[in-house]
Amino acid sequence: MKMRYYFITAFAFASFVFPQSTVEGIVSDESGNPLVGANVTIDGTSFGVASGAGGNYMIKVPIGTMDGKTVTVTADYIGYTRASESVDIPVGGSVNQNFSLDVDAIGMKAVSVTALGFTANRDEQGSSSVSVAAADMTRSGESLIGNSLAAKASNVIVNAVAGDPGASTTIKIRGANTISGTFQPLIVVDGMPLNNSTIYGGGNNISGGNDAGTVQQSRLNDLNANDIESVEVLKGASAAALWGSRAANGVVMITTKDGQAGKMKMNYKRTMSFDEIHERIPMQTLWGQGQNGTYNNGKAESWGDYIPDRAGGADAVESTGAHFTSEDESFTQYALNTKNSKDTYVDSNWEQVFQTGKYVQDDFQITGGDAAKTFLFSYSSLRQSGIIRESSYDRDNFRLNTKFRLSDMISMSSKASYTFTNSNRIQQSSNVTGVMLGLLRNAPDFDITHYKGTYVDASGVEYDGRQRAYRKYMAQSTHPTYNNPLWTINDQKADTKVDRFIMTNEMTITPDQKTNLVIRAGIDAWGDNRAWFFPMGSSGSRSSGVFAEDALTNREVNYDFIVRRSLSLGSNISLNATAGYNWWDREYSRTSFNISSFLVNTDKQTANVNTSAEASTVENSKLFIRSGRTYGLLSLAAMDNIYVNLSAVNEDHSTISESYTYPAMDVAYQFSDMLKGTPLSFGKLRFAWGQVGVRPSAHRFETLAESGFSYSSYSDPLDVALFGGGYRVDDDKGNPDLKPELKTETEFGMDLRFFDDRFALGITSYQNEVKDMLINVSKSPSTGYDTQYMNAATMENKGLELDGSYLFMNDANKGLDMYFNWAQNKNKVTDLAGTEVIYLGTGSVNSVAIVGYPVGTLHGTGSKIYAKADADNPVDSDDGINVFTDDNSLVGKFALNANGFPQITSLKRVLGDPNPDWRGTLGLNARWKNFNMNVLFEHSQGGDFSPRTQWVLRRFGTTKETENALTLSQDMINFDGDTVLAGTFVRGSIHDFGGGEVLLDETWYRHGIGGGFGDNQAYNFAVKDATFSRIKELSLSYTFSSPVFRKTTNLSSVTLRWTGRNLWAKYKELVGIDPATNQAGVANGFGLDYFTNPSTKSYLFTVLVNY
Amino acid sequence: MKNIFSLILVGSMLMLTSCEMPTDLNDNPNAITLQDVDANLFLNGAQLANIMIQNSHLNRITGMFSGQLVGYTSLYSNIYGYSLSTVESNDEWNGCYTGVLTNVRYVRDVVPDDKLLVGIAKVLEAHAVGTLAILMGDVPYSEVVSEVEDPAFDTQGSVLTALTSLLDGAISDLESASTRSESYDLYYGGDKDKWIAAAYTLKARYALVQSDYASALTAANSGISSSDGDMNYIPRGDAAISEGDKNLFNAILSGSRTGDIGNNGSYLLELLNDTTATYRGNAKTNETARHNYYKIDETSGEGNLGVIERYEPMPMVTYFENQLIKAEAAARTGGDGLGYLNEYRAWLSSGGRLNATFNDSTILYGAYDNADFASGGMENADGLSAVDALLREIIEERYVSGFGTYMPFNDHRRLRGDGETNLIPPFPLNTTAASEHVERIPYAQDELTSNSMMDDDPGLYAETEVNK
Repeated sequence: MKMRYYFITAFAFASFVFPQSTVEGIVSDESGNPLVGANVTIDGTSFGVASGAGGNYMIKVPIGTMDGKTVTVTADYIGYTRASESVDIPVGGSVNQNFSLDVDAIGMKAVSVTALGFTANRDEQGSSSVSVAAADMTRSGESLIGNSLAAKASNVIVNAVAGDPGASTTIKIRGANTISGTFQPLIVVDGMPLNNSTIYGGGNNISGGNDAGTVQQSRLNDLNANDIESVEVLKGASAAALWGSRAANGVVMITTKDGQAGKMKMNYKRTMSFDEIHERIPMQTLWGQGQNGTYNNGKAESWGDYIPDRAGGADAVESTGAHFTSEDESFTQYALNTKNSKDTYVDSNWEQVFQTGKYVQDDFQITGGDAAKTFLFSYSSLRQSGIIRESSYDRDNFRLNTKFRLSDMISMSSKASYTFTNSNRIQQSSNVTGVMLGLLRNAPDFDITHYKGTYVDASGVEYDGRQRAYRKYMAQSTHPTYNNPLWTINDQKADTKVDRFIMTNEMTITPDQKTNLVIRAGIDAWGDNRAWFFPMGSSGSRSSGVFAEDALTNREVNYDFIVRRSLSLGSNISLNATAGYNWWDREYSRTSFNISSFLVNTDKQTANVNTSAEASTVENSKLFIRSGRTYGLLSLAAMDNIYVNLSAVNEDHSTISESYTYPAMDVAYQFSDMLKGTPLSFGKLRFAWGQVGVRPSAHRFETLAESGFSYSSYSDPLDVALFGGGYRVDDDKGNPDLKPELKTETEFGMDLRFFDDRFALGITSYQNEVKDMLINVSKSPSTGYDTQYMNAATMENKGLELDGSYLFMNDANKGLDMYFNWAQNKNKVTDLAGTEVIYLGTGSVNSVAIVGYPVGTLHGTGSKIYAKADADNPVDSDDGINVFTDDNSLVGKFALNANGFPQITSLKRVLGDPNPDWRGTLGLNARWKNFNMNVLFEHSQGGDFSPRTQWVLRRFGTTKETENALTLSQDMINFDGDTVLAGTFVRGSIHDFGGGEVLLDETWYRHGIGGGFGDNQAYNFAVKDATFSRIKELSLSYTFSSPVFRKTTNLSSVTLRWTGRNLWAKYKELVGIDPATNQAGVANGFGLDYFTNPSTKSYLFTVLVNY
Repeated sequence: MKNIFSLILVGSMLMLTSCEMPTDLNDNPNAITLQDVDANLFLNGAQLANIMIQNSHLNRITGMFSGQLVGYTSLYSNIYGYSLSTVESNDEWNGCYTGVLTNVRYVRDVVPDDKLLVGIAKVLEAHAVGTLAILMGDVPYSEVVSEVEDPAFDTQGSVLTALTSLLDGAISDLESASTRSESYDLYYGGDKDKWIAAAYTLKARYALVQSDYASALTAANSGISSSDGDMNYIPRGDAAISEGDKNLFNAILSGSRTGDIGNNGSYLLELLNDTTATYRGNAKTNETARHNYYKIDETSGEGNLGVIERYEPMPMVTYFENQLIKAEAAARTGGDGLGYLNEYRAWLSSGGRLNATFNDSTILYGAYDNADFASGGMENADGLSAVDALLREIIEERYVSGFGTYMPFNDHRRLRGDGETNLIPPFPLNTTAASEHVERIPYAQDELTSNSMMDDDPGLYAETEVNK
C-alpha cells in the first residue's frame, strides 16, 4: 500500500524564474502534419522538450549558459528519421527552428506501444511484440475488426467461429495458456481494458449452449476497424506483465486515431462485399429415403431405394383422405402410395437456404483542429446479410476523439464511441431446430419448398400452421423431429441488439520537462438484448413454442494514475521511472425469461402467448469483479546500446484470497556498431523473463445450495423446477484458497536488419510453464462431489517465431516488398492433479486436456489396436483401448473381430491433436505508379480436425461418400456378419482393415460403428489431417491523385480497391469443411464440427474518397 | 496553477483510499447458501436423482438385455447389440453419489432429530446404493461422501449387508416419527407407514438377490401390502408444461430419439401375444389386456396410451414386487407360494397392473390349483417337479410384471448363477454374435477415471459376487 502513495508524495514541483532565451518551432511530418510528442533536444546538454499540440516546442535556455553559441538541435520522433539543425542561441529573446521529419525506412513498425499505452522505440525493447498496421487490417475487407487480425503476426491465430454475419472471433496467441480460463487475450483500447466477452447463456442455451443455439458475437467486434490507428500485439509475458492476472494470453493494444491539426479533412469510404459459402459438403443424389434399400418416407435415413430404378413420373398418391396444403395453397400432398418420381432436390434445397451474402459499409471521417485542439469525428454504417438467408448484422459506429492543450503543462484528451448493432442469427449446430442439421439430414428426394401449411386429417379436421419436414411429409404431426431448414431461417428468430458506449478520458500534466503525470478514467458499458422465438411446431422440445428474452448488461470502470520521470545518471545512462495505480471494476448481469407452451399459434413476440405461471421461467445471473494494481517500471538506457526494463505489479483481486506480485524484466543489446563493413545494418539481442497470470473465476469460494438443476440420463430430463423447486448441495465443491494461475516465460530473440535495413528478420524463441492452473478437478463421484475448482494443473509451451520482410525496391514510382511470418508452438499438459480428462467442449468427439498431450487433444471412442505386451500388460488382457499382444507384427494394427471389422474401445482414447505443427504466412506488396497489389498466403501444417457432421451423415446416407454402389464379384461379409452373395448389386464399397476385404454397406454406416451418434463409434476414422493452404487475401487498388485530378475534382485523392478474401484453399484431407470454424464457438475446445454454420469467402469493392 | 495540482492530489488520495477490496465481493450473488435452506427442501432433488437411477437409461438398458426392450436405431441399437461403454453409467452413478447420497447425508447431519426426514434419507440411500450394487457388483460405500479422495470399493455382499442394517435403522427412526404432510417428499408426501413398508420391501429385495429366501419372506411380510403403498415415479401431469414432467420413456420417444427404442419384437411381448407360440396365456389366463397395455408405439411418444402414456406412473418399489417375493420365497421354503400367487392374480384380475384405457373385459387371471403344477398339468407339460413348475410360473410372472423395473434382469442373473436355468424365461440373445447373457452393468467412466481404487471395469460378462 505504501507504494501507492509513494509516487504522489515523491512528486516535487520545481519552477524556474531565471531570465532565459528560447528555441522554438514546429515539428511536422513530410506533408506538414504536426507531430505531437517529438523529442527536441540540444545535443550534449540536458536541455530538451517534447513537442506539444500542433507540433509546437519551446526549449528554454537560462541566460548565461550558452548565449551566442552555435549548437545542434535534434528532433526525434519514433517511426521517423531524426533531423538535426545548427542554431545560434541568442542572448535573450527567441530563435525559430522548424523540423520536417521523414518517415523511417521501416515505417511506423519502428514504434511499439507498451502495456501502459505509451509509445516506445521498438529497437530499444527487449520483449517481443508485433504491430499490425491499420492499413493491413482494413485492406483485408473483414467487416469485423477481430477477423482482420488474422494471418498478420506470427503465433497469433485468429478464426471466425462461423461465417454468420457478426460471428465471434477467437484469437489465440502462442497457443493455450490456460485450461479453464479463456484463451482470449486481453484487449486494451486507448489504455483501457475492453470487454471482449462472448456470452452464450440464457436463451442461447434453449438449444444447448456454446455448441448449439446461435453463433454469438465477440464484443471486440463492436469496434470499427476504420477508427484504428494502430494495433500492437504483446505476445510475451514480460511485455504484458503489467496487466498481471489478465495477461497470460497476451495483450492486444489498440489505439484509435487522433485528430489532425491543420486544414479540416474529410474522407468517405464505401466497401461492398459479396460473400459465398467457403466449403460445401458433397451430397448424394442416387438413393432415396428409407432403410435396407427400401423407400420409406417415415425414416430418418436415406438408405432407401435406388432412385434410377424408380418408375419415373409422378408419385402415386391417394386422391382423398388426410393431406397437407401449403400456406399459399399452391401445393397439396396426399398420402403416398408409390414413390415413382426420380427427382432429387439437393441443389434446389440448398439454394433456398443459401444466397450470396453481402454487406455495404459506409465510413465517414472528418478531422481538424489547431495547435490547441484537435478532433476526429467518424461515423460508420454496416449493413450485412449473411450467406444463410435471413441472417443479418447491422452496425452503426459513432466516434468523437478530441484533444485539448489547456496550458503548457496540461493537456486533455477524450475518446468516446457509441456502437449499435442489430442482428438476426440462425440456429445451428447440435440442435434439431438448427439449419444445417435439417438441411444435411434431409433426404435427397424430398423437396423442402412447401414447409408450412395446413394438415387435414382423415376425418377432415384442419390443423393450421404445421411444419412439414422430410420425416413428416404431410405435416401429420406437431413434431417434425428435425426442422425443415426453411422453417429454421424464416419462422424462428434470434434477434440481438447491442448498445455500447466506451469512453476514455486522459489528462496529462507536465510540471517540468522530465516529469509527467497521466490520469486516465474510462468506462465501457454495454447492453445486449436478445430475443428468441420458436413458433409452435418447431422441432424437439420447442414444439409447443418458445419465446425467451435475455437482458445482458456489462459495465466496466477503469482508472489509472501514472507518474513518469526521466533521470539522467551521468552522460551515458538515462533512467525512466514509472509508477502507477490501476483500479478496475466490472459488474455484469443477465436477466432472462422463457415462456413455452404457447396457447396461441402466433408469430408475435409477446408474453401473452401464455400467461399461466407454469409456462414461464425467470432466471438471473450476476458477476462482480474488482481489482487494484500497483505497479512500478524502471527503464534504463546505457551507452546508447543497452536497454533494460524492470517491472513489478502487485495485484489485489476480488477472486483471489491474497494479493499477488508479478515481476518481469527484459534486456536489449544493440550490437550494430560492431557490424560496420558487413551486410548487417542493425543487430539486437534480447532477453526477457516475466510472470503473468489468469485470475480465478468469480464467486467460487463457497459450497452453495444449488437450485434449477435437472437429472437426465438420456434425453429424459427430470427438472426440479417442475417438482416444487428444491435444492441440492452443489456438486461443485467450493474452494476458499484460490490463487491465480501463474505463467513464467523466458524468451530469447534477435532482431537483424541487412543491406541498409532492406531485409529485416526477427527471431524469437520462448518457453513457458503455466502452473497452479485452475481446473474443475473431477472428483470421484463417490466422494459426493463431481468437481472442485482448484489450482491443480500444469502445462508448458515452447515456441519459435520468425517475422521478417524484404524491401526489393522503393522509389517514387514503384515499390515491391515481401513479408512473412512463421511460428510453431508446442504445448503439453504435464499434470492434472489425477484428473484423467478435462472436457473443453461437448460431443462424442471432444476437445480435451489430458496429461502428456497438448491442450485441445481430440478424444473419443475409437478402434481397438494391438499394443505391445509387457510385464505390466500381460498378453491377452484388454484395457478397454488396446488389445495386448506379444506378436510384434501385429502392434499398431487394428484388433479386428472374427469378420474382419474393427472393434470399438470401451473407453475413450486420444484420437488426434488439433494444434498445427506450424503455421506461416507469406505476403507480397507491389506498387507501380498508382497501382497497388497485395497478396497474402497462409499455410497451416499438420494438426487434426474432426468433421463429425460428415461422420453422422454416413448414418443418414445423404453424403457423397455413401453414394457408391457395386456388383460384387465374390461373396463378401458385412458388419452384421451376413454374407452378401457374389453378383449382388449393393450400395457400399469394399475395404480392407487389415484382415482381408470386407463389405462396408448400410450395416457398417447406419447401425454399425462406421457412422452415427453417441460414444460407441469408431471415431478414429472421423479425425482428419487439417493441413491447409489458402490465399487469405488478394487485393488490387488504384489511386487517383494527380494534380490534374485534384484540380478538376477538388478532391485530394480517390482510391478504388478490389479485394478477394479466402478465395482459394487447398486441404490435405478435409472435404467440405473449413477447419477455421468451431462447433465450440469461442471456447477452449477446437478442431470440432457438428452441423456448424459454414464459413465464407468474399469479393469486395472499396471506394475511398479523400477531400 | 498550484490549485489545480492540489485538487488533483487530494482527489487522487480520496480515490485511492476508496479503492479498498470489500471482503464479501466474491460471495456468490447468484446462489443461496446452504444454511439458508430448510432441510426438507433437499428431499425432492434427491428423490428425482433416485428416480433417474431406477427408471431411466440404465433401466432401459437392462430391459434390452432381458428380452423386454429392443433398441432399433442410434445409440440404443448399439447397446442392444451389447456395445456398451462405461460412459453410459455416468449419470446414474453420479446421481447416486452426488444426487442422492451427498444430500441425504446432509439432511441427516443438519436435522438429526427430525426422525421422519432422517428415516426417509436412510431409505433413499439404501435404495440408490443397493440398486447400483446389485447391477454392478462391488461399489464404494463405507468411505463415500467423506474426506477420502479415493473411496474403496466394498464387496457386493458387504454393501448389501450394510444397507440392510441401514434400512433397519430407517425403520426404527420412522417408527419413532410421526406422519406429517411433506410436499417435498415426492414419493409418499410424508406418510411414515408407507416409508416403513417400502423399507421392508427393499430388505426383502436385497435378501432375495442374495438367494436368502427365508429372510426375504420375513421382510416381505412387513412390506408393501397393497398397490396404494407403491413407491412410483408419478409424473405430475401439468398440461401447461411441454417438457420434463413426463413418463421418462414417453419423454424419450417425444424428442429427437423417436423411434430409437421400444418393445415391438421383444420376447416379453411374444409371451403376452396370443398369436405367438410363446404365448403364456391358458384356460385361466388371458394376457390380451396386459399385452395391449405394455405395447409401446416407438414412432411417437404421444401415440402411447398404455404403460408409457405421458403421465403413467413408473414403478420403483411396489406391491407386485413384494407379493411376488413372498410367492417365490414361500414356494422355496415350504410355504404357501401358490396362495400368494393366487392373491396376486386376483389383484391382476381387478386390473391392478393396468391403466383405465386397457382395463377391459378380456382380463382373466383365474386362481391356479395344485393340479395345474403337477407333472402334466396345465403349467407343467414338460414334467418338472411341482415346486419347480410353480416357481417357474412365479418367475415368469415376475418377468412380466416387472417390466420397467430391474427385477427381470436381476432374476435372470440370480437364477442362472444358482444353476436354475430351467426356471427362467428363455429370452434369446439379441445378436448371433453374442454367446452369453450380460452379467452386470459397467461402472461409470467418471469414477474409473478419477478413483485410483478401481482401474478398469470387469466387463459385461463378469458375474457379481451374489450371482457366482
